[in-house]
Amino acid sequence: MRIVIAEDAVLLREGLAGLLEDAGHAVVARVGDADDLLVAVAEHEPELAIVDVRMPPDYDDEGMVAAGVIRDRHPATGVLVLSQHVETRHAVRLVARGGGFGYLLKDRVLDVDDFLDACARVATGGTALDPVVVATLVSPPVAEDPLGGLTPREREVLGLMAEGRTNAGIAARLWLTEKTVETHVRAVLRKLGLPAGSGDHRRVLAVLAYLRAQDTGPHASQGQPSG
Amino acid sequence: MTHTRAVVPFAVAALIPGLLVLAGVLDGLGTDERIPIWAAVLLAVGLLTPAAVGLVILRRGPRNLIGWILLVGPVPIAVMACLEVYARARGTDGAFLPGNDVAGILSVALWPTFYVWPLAIAFVFPDGHLPSRRWRWPAVAVFTAAGLVIAFVLVGEERLDPAMGGGANPFRVEGVDVLLPLFWAIWGVLLAGLFLGAAAVVVRYRRARGVERLQLKWLAWSAGLIPLGLLVCALSYLLVGDVTILVPAVLVGAGVCMSVSVGIAVTRHGLYEIDRLVNRTLVYAVLTLALGAVFVVIVVVSGIALGRGSMVGTALATLVVALAAAPLRGRVQRGVDRRFARARYEGLSRVRAFEDAVRRGAEEPEGVEQALRDALGDDSLRLWLRLARSERHADVQGAIVDRAAPAQASRTIVEHHGDEIAIIVHAPLLLTRPDLLRSVVDAATLPIELARLRAEVRVQLAEVEASRERLIRAGDDERRRLERDLHDGAQQRLVSLGVSLRRMQRSLPREARALVPAFDQAVDEVGQAIADLRTIAAGLRPPRLDDGLAAALGDLARSAPVPVVVRVEVDDLPPPVELVAYYTVCEAITNAVKHASATRVDVEALIEGDHLTVRVRDDGRGGAVARGASGLAGIADRVGAQGGRLHIDSPAGAGTLLEAELPCAS
Repeated sequence: MRIVIAEDAVLLREGLAGLLEDAGHAVVARVGDADDLLVAVAEHEPELAIVDVRMPPDYDDEGMVAAGVIRDRHPATGVLVLSQHVETRHAVRLVARGGGFGYLLKDRVLDVDDFLDACARVATGGTALDPVVVATLVSPPVAEDPLGGLTPREREVLGLMAEGRTNAGIAARLWLTEKTVETHVRAVLRKLGLPAGSGDHRRVLAVLAYLRAQDTGPHASQGQPSG
Repeated sequence: MTHTRAVVPFAVAALIPGLLVLAGVLDGLGTDERIPIWAAVLLAVGLLTPAAVGLVILRRGPRNLIGWILLVGPVPIAVMACLEVYARARGTDGAFLPGNDVAGILSVALWPTFYVWPLAIAFVFPDGHLPSRRWRWPAVAVFTAAGLVIAFVLVGEERLDPAMGGGANPFRVEGVDVLLPLFWAIWGVLLAGLFLGAAAVVVRYRRARGVERLQLKWLAWSAGLIPLGLLVCALSYLLVGDVTILVPAVLVGAGVCMSVSVGIAVTRHGLYEIDRLVNRTLVYAVLTLALGAVFVVIVVVSGIALGRGSMVGTALATLVVALAAAPLRGRVQRGVDRRFARARYEGLSRVRAFEDAVRRGAEEPEGVEQALRDALGDDSLRLWLRLARSERHADVQGAIVDRAAPAQASRTIVEHHGDEIAIIVHAPLLLTRPDLLRSVVDAATLPIELARLRAEVRVQLAEVEASRERLIRAGDDERRRLERDLHDGAQQRLVSLGVSLRRMQRSLPREARALVPAFDQAVDEVGQAIADLRTIAAGLRPPRLDDGLAAALGDLARSAPVPVVVRVEVDDLPPPVELVAYYTVCEAITNAVKHASATRVDVEALIEGDHLTVRVRDDGRGGAVARGASGLAGIADRVGAQGGRLHIDSPAGAGTLLEAELPCAS
């Protein structure tokens, strides 16, 4: 897989590149800001661009903006955005625009296999959404919460679905058989009134669209004792 | 020293009635030829009027040249009158009194003094200087001519008037008659001088502007009377032949007119600032008369009723007079003002009515600007209040003014206890009414000072509020910077470290696989450190606020140890408002959980009108106060700095309702 890395912290950039190269991928360009990133992507047309959210000159959301541009101009290039903290608004919007997009906290990199798996998913048109982001969308039950009808296991499955994982991925994660996972997925989709689609990404989109509708507008959520 | 100097004008002024009385005593002594009564009255009026006006002027300004001219000018004329009656008077033996020839010739020679003081006034009124340097020689010529005429008559006259015995002139110098043409020439100069004097006034009048023009107006007319009167005299001499009555009548009339003109300038147009003195004199004169009359009436009536020498009557009269004095004084003052200073009377009434309204609470002191506009009849008037601390000026609303602004306006400084408290910027025309301006401003000093103090407080409060907002903003900026430093600095390095560890782990040779768990543990430690940093950074500034208030409050609710129900019906708030709303809810939840043992919290954020209302209600034990260094006090500061209001309703045992109102322009 050919990869472009945009990260202004040189140490981390080189480390990431090394990690990916160790895994057999080709890092074709390493850049430090959004402008260079766009140039590099246009030049190399890589399968994947790994992009830091905050980059020079303003250290704001240059990476996220560049990700949007890449999704527009180079649909074949997947974009995996890395962030230091959770910020859902842009991420959910970009996911909603189609596959080939991922949003992870930076320290997910340390979970190397999961990270490489996410890279592969995004590069092949799939989705990777950080569990923390998903958690903010999958609110714990409130009285009238439609998610209230889900069992805890179904809720777990829903979360993994929203992260963009396949049934096989979910099954591996939960130590279940794929068949059981399929049953749970069907139950979740039925309970939420979502169409039982076949494609992974369509499924993620449906789940996210549903969760997003819960997260914005008149907002109702209830905290569960956490400690 | 000053005391003696103040007495001198009175001494001089007393001289004139003294001389007149002396003349009255001497008049007709030993003969039947008396001065007719009308002439005596004319003379008395003609001499006493200028002297009185002069005395009033000198009371105010002891060095005033005009005052001295008016006061001293009539003295030689009074002396002349005395000399004349003395020269006519006879002793019991029918003989003329000793020295009657000297007195007689002097009384004839001193005639030009009739012209001298009106001329002097005409030349130097009102500032005590000639209209310009060019007038110096004409003035010198005229007064020298007057002196020469007196000298010529003294040495040239052959005999005295038959009424004075017709004796020889003791000062006669023989042969002086050859100079007679010169004498007439000098007479001509003196007469020309009278026209010159009139011309001087007219020149000055035409040159004058504003109030000086008003001051000169009457004098310009009356100065013209002297040459006019003399022309009439000359004509009637040619036509009728006898002008003994007409000449003194004209001269006295002109003199009276001139002194009255000066008096008008002084009293009506504020010259030498004597109007108030006259006003007060008038007030006290009327007051004294009225009180005296009341006293007398009561004493007389009670004397009739109770018998003569009754102490009761006197005591009663004293009591009535004492009680009536103060209210009567006000009435008399207003009456005098109403009659003689209408504009000032009405202006003062307006200002006093306003002051009463302020006292009753019906008007705010800031209305003083409008009151001054009404009182002075100047709608362009502006009041600039001086802010003592900052040496700046503010308008009545408390906005700082640029003192250089209006070039076309005049300024009057308002003082209170000798310190400047305000500047009144007004139309230049008002300067022509200094009496009106001053008395209205004096009357309005107290409300002006009130408005000034309030403006000062308002300006200082605004400054303090601005500085509080700056402090809080600086704090927020600093937190944001710290949060970024944590994320982009330490956290980034930890991730790099973790990645390095992972790479090393993955490149371990097969025989070193035993180290894998140790690497896993190290990376876990790094991950934990990163999570810790993220928590700290989130405490510094909630990153979820980037997703809006709803998302941030949702996060807050999820992480709370008790059920928190959030209802947010707003979007796209200004970031500072969002931040304050977030911290408010954060603190309220903390308070509910930590101090009030609440089991449920309801959070509400909605737009009401033009502000955001944040309501947090819990079912805890209440008793929350925003005091001292508590978190709620900090929230009150933040809300206040944002221009909002924090309301805490927390009765003991009945839960807490915290409500923040935050203005938001969006």
